[in-house]
Amino acid sequence: MSIMKIERKRGEGMSNEGFDVIVVGAGVAGNVAAYLLGREGLQVLLIERGNYPGSKNMTGGRIYSHSLEKIMPDFAKEAPIERKITREKVFMMTEKSSIGLDFQSSLLGTHGSDSYSVLRGVFDQWLAEKAEEVGVEIVTGICVDDLIIRQGKVCGVIAGIDQIESGVTILADGINSLLAQKAGLRKEFKPSHVAVGVKELIELPAELIQERFQCNENEGTACMFAGFPSDGRIGGGFLYTNKESISLGVVCTLSDLIKGQKALPQLMEDFKTHPTVAPLIKEGKLVEYSGHLVPEGGVEMMPKIIGDGVLVVGDAAGFCVNLGYAVRGMDFAIASGECAARAVSKAYQGGGYSEGDLQVYRDYLEESFVLHDMKLYRNFPKFLETTPRVFSDYPKLLEGIMTDMFVMNGQPTQALVKTIMKHINKVGVLKITRDAWKGVRSV
Amino acid sequence: MKIITCIKVVPEEQDIVIKADGELSFDRAKPTISAYDLNAVEAGAQLLEECGGDFIALSVGSGGIDNPKLKKNILSRGPESLVMVADDRLKDLDTHQTAKVLKAAIEKVGEYDLILCGEGSSDLYAQQVGPQLGQLLNVPTINSVSKITQSDGKIVVQRTLENEVETLESVLPALVIVTSDINLPRIATMSHVLAAGKKPATVWTLEDIGVLELFNTIEVIDTRAPQQVERKQDIVEGDTDEAIQEFITKLSTVLAK
Repeated sequence: MSIMKIERKRGEGMSNEGFDVIVVGAGVAGNVAAYLLGREGLQVLLIERGNYPGSKNMTGGRIYSHSLEKIMPDFAKEAPIERKITREKVFMMTEKSSIGLDFQSSLLGTHGSDSYSVLRGVFDQWLAEKAEEVGVEIVTGICVDDLIIRQGKVCGVIAGIDQIESGVTILADGINSLLAQKAGLRKEFKPSHVAVGVKELIELPAELIQERFQCNENEGTACMFAGFPSDGRIGGGFLYTNKESISLGVVCTLSDLIKGQKALPQLMEDFKTHPTVAPLIKEGKLVEYSGHLVPEGGVEMMPKIIGDGVLVVGDAAGFCVNLGYAVRGMDFAIASGECAARAVSKAYQGGGYSEGDLQVYRDYLEESFVLHDMKLYRNFPKFLETTPRVFSDYPKLLEGIMTDMFVMNGQPTQALVKTIMKHINKVGVLKITRDAWKGVRSV
Repeated sequence: MKIITCIKVVPEEQDIVIKADGELSFDRAKPTISAYDLNAVEAGAQLLEECGGDFIALSVGSGGIDNPKLKKNILSRGPESLVMVADDRLKDLDTHQTAKVLKAAIEKVGEYDLILCGEGSSDLYAQQVGPQLGQLLNVPTINSVSKITQSDGKIVVQRTLENEVETLESVLPALVIVTSDINLPRIATMSHVLAAGKKPATVWTLEDIGVLELFNTIEVIDTRAPQQVERKQDIVEGDTDEAIQEFITKLSTVLAK
């Protein structure tokens, strides 16, 4: 982005005159957009509904650093991150067993392609401070109720009795963006496009976490679990190690959740007592319980992201990819915030914020990984939706094979191939081959 | 009418963490307005709206109170300006020294009609600073006030006591200590918050207000949370005579120890 500084008089009668840009929502997308535009010298107002940035935000736990690294080089040295993730574990889980893959590598920690566990309550506050340092005006504890719309153009925001005008408004108000709906950019969700997640933050001493997860100080593990945590429905469990706590949670697609017997809090309770999980959180103290929606519909659920005087970023735009083994939301949010800032900056220099002026936002998104990856994985949500076996039959299949291989009870054993085929035939070779083909093609 | 509301800055209660050894950690607790003082600020804001004039917020405390977010928070609630005496020598001050520093600051501010205080601080709740400040300023001082009206250079207040409500009239200047139910503190709107950033805030040191010596009588050695007593979890169920008898027996055994 250009580093041209535009000198403007600040601080006088801004609430009357309005702002160049109003950003609604101080999550990572909103903060980054505000920060970049503030740095450019634009008058930016960032409005956050919570009492402090991050207070309403929730993440499973991990940020892939690449997109923020581009904007704030070496941010991890200064930012309140928890642990660098150097170990990835993926499990298929049944009620009694779990079969896992453990990947530990120094390649995971390479600068620029590393990832960190974070807690949004502190991380987003830090990011907002960065925005404040470059002159962004931040107002917290204020809920934006509506948009000022004149002849189809968004001209500012309405909060309670106040109306504040702006040249352009960036909607970073999260997944259930009521403002995007009010601007006519988005319709109601389909239940299959959103998942709901719960997370418990469980406090444990740092040394104990390092012991249990076999990691060095400041390094940590990310674990994903398929099958049992979501009771065989679309979803899964996750675990991230923080400095002195563990983020543990379950996510389940809304449309699938209602089909089952167990409610989400119950899934969470059962997950916590699973023999694989229980020893990891033993003697931990529950310090936080949270729940949130997750956009998982991919491009299918994307709203219109550009309007007259308005842009939509982050979760509000549905920018998130869940591949089961990796969940990415914050790096998409940050990159989309950056693209929006670049687009607004360009439109500002061009002198207008019409829908046409702001089209560059889409171009920037296309150039970056955001829309590329969203499109690449466009069939993956559908694959999961149409292949429930991933969450029910396959964990059981693996459990069966493993049990026959490792449980010795004096009974005459069968040849390994026979054992494996016995279990595979229960599901059907054809089905498995077809699912594998579909799965691989969708990613 | 020229109003000064005194505010104590305290650590945000919900962010104080009790460590395993009972020690309190204030690391995450940001400075905020003591809850009872919000009512004193609101009372000032309402009087200003009714009769116009001048409304100043005043706070004294350690250097940490000179915090931009806190200043904005105070100024978004109605005061037109803010004066702070922020000095690390003011940490853990006893109530008398606090009143003395407030008096010196008020005298530097100049003329006033009404000083407003909250009924106590939300951390220590000694309820001492208001009355002592009134004494030091040598002005009529009324506490437990649940209503204030003003007319012709006088105020009429309702003083809520245990069994009665007194109606008192006082000349000005005066010092009034309000109860926590005198009003419902307003929630700042966006334009109030934006305007707060532009209101004047002055920060003084002790030298600025001419306080050269403090005679603090308090030394805080340690602050710890009381030890949690493990619950016995001994539950007697049912309402039969036997169950009640069992309950009584258990109770008397424990009490006899």
